[in-house]
Amino acid sequence: MSEDVMFKGSRYGLQLVFSDTAEFSSIEKQLKNKLESAFNFFCKGTVIRVAADRLTREQTAKLAALLEHYGLALKPVDTLAEQAADLKKAESAACEEIPGLHETTVIEKTVRGGEEVICNGSVIIHGNVNPSASIIAGGNIDVRGTCRGIVHAGAFGDNEAFIIANHMMAMQVRIAELIARAPDHMEKSEQVERAIVRNGQIVIEPAERNEGERE
Amino acid sequence: MSEIIVITSGKGGVGKTTTTANLGVGLAMRGKKVVLIDTDTGLRNLDLLLGLENRIMYDLIDVTEGRVPYKKALVRHKKHDSLYLLPTSQVKDKMALQPEQLVTLCEELRADFDYILIDCPAGIEQGFKTAIAAADCAIVVTMPEISAVRDADKIIGELGRADKENIKLVVNRIRPQMVRSGDMLDMDDIDEILSIECIGQVPDDELVVTSTNRGEPVISNKESLAGKAYSNIVGRICGENIPFLEFSEEGFFVKLKRVFGW
Repeated sequence: MSEDVMFKGSRYGLQLVFSDTAEFSSIEKQLKNKLESAFNFFCKGTVIRVAADRLTREQTAKLAALLEHYGLALKPVDTLAEQAADLKKAESAACEEIPGLHETTVIEKTVRGGEEVICNGSVIIHGNVNPSASIIAGGNIDVRGTCRGIVHAGAFGDNEAFIIANHMMAMQVRIAELIARAPDHMEKSEQVERAIVRNGQIVIEPAERNEGERE
Repeated sequence: MSEIIVITSGKGGVGKTTTTANLGVGLAMRGKKVVLIDTDTGLRNLDLLLGLENRIMYDLIDVTEGRVPYKKALVRHKKHDSLYLLPTSQVKDKMALQPEQLVTLCEELRADFDYILIDCPAGIEQGFKTAIAAADCAIVVTMPEISAVRDADKIIGELGRADKENIKLVVNRIRPQMVRSGDMLDMDDIDEILSIECIGQVPDDELVVTSTNRGEPVISNKESLAGKAYSNIVGRICGENIPFLEFSEEGFFVKLKRVFGW
């Protein structure tokens, strides 16, 4: 089955993106499957934006009820108006407060292939992030193990966000709107490394954890 | 107390059914009462590996749909008196069996058997979900190959979500020479990704193929290194502390030592 429904991070927050051509019933069903599958680990209270201008009021209400059932909140938004605002480069409008952005979630296990962790704030993982697992966070990501999956920090546009891992071997490192992929052949790094944005590029450099962060 | 073990892998062709058949025979050789349940409805193979195809009268679906009591569907192994097979239907498909039905059946079987081994179909769909529903613990079979290891990782995640916490690993079809030359993943590489307890390392062995075709699991062949490896797994399931096999040359063994810290 093709995917008509996706969760995407934008600078305004997490957004439910659906294909324009899809039937509403199919969107509803796929969203339910996605939430039900538990492949996705959503932190409670995560706010999901939905393009309400492309749905009827009843449809929006249905999605809101569905998301609420899984502990998520729906925020109706007018994507057309946003696009217009983007065109005007109204940067100040982007400084909208995203709820939970400053909270940190701690995950006490290895995130395995196919699993997805999505958080508004920062994430600490006491375990590995395995190949084809993905972590999407509004804030920073700290992997206290080997990171081989896809990690996206500052998913809402914060390019001050960073990713730190005991062994940084991520398939892809994404910070805000930037993407860096791993070299085709990679050696295991033996020291803690940090990925940050410098001069508009993602760089990975040796790092030490702060006292307070140490286990 | 009887134990229900599901043998699963995610990827096909890594040796789930071969492992099930061998562990079944091995446990029976130790005098345990064992039943093997094939849940690969529509693509059943376990009966072939045990050489019991022509003795099947009823199947798992007949039992779960209430047409016959399970005792009528059990096929006793020709050599090992305490080993039984509960074959599945070759006609129906995976939708014919619901998880609850298998759970109920396994609870009934617990009274009569020491070990209930469930041979799981490949994939992560309905058939897999049904097969793992009743299990107390799981054995994940993988191969030293990147796709098999990735799929095993996914399966371990799935088992975790189904609250199956007791998961053991069997690495099948190891080719020591290729591992030594660096052309095949070694135990270190596999352990780094999967990080679960390994209870078996089985070498690739031509005798497995010939014994499969004859319907006599390789574990009863004293000449076979794979048979020996399977019989060690059986020992470990029974709680014995058995060192891993040495595959002829130093290099590999030293590596194994490093992985398991002895």
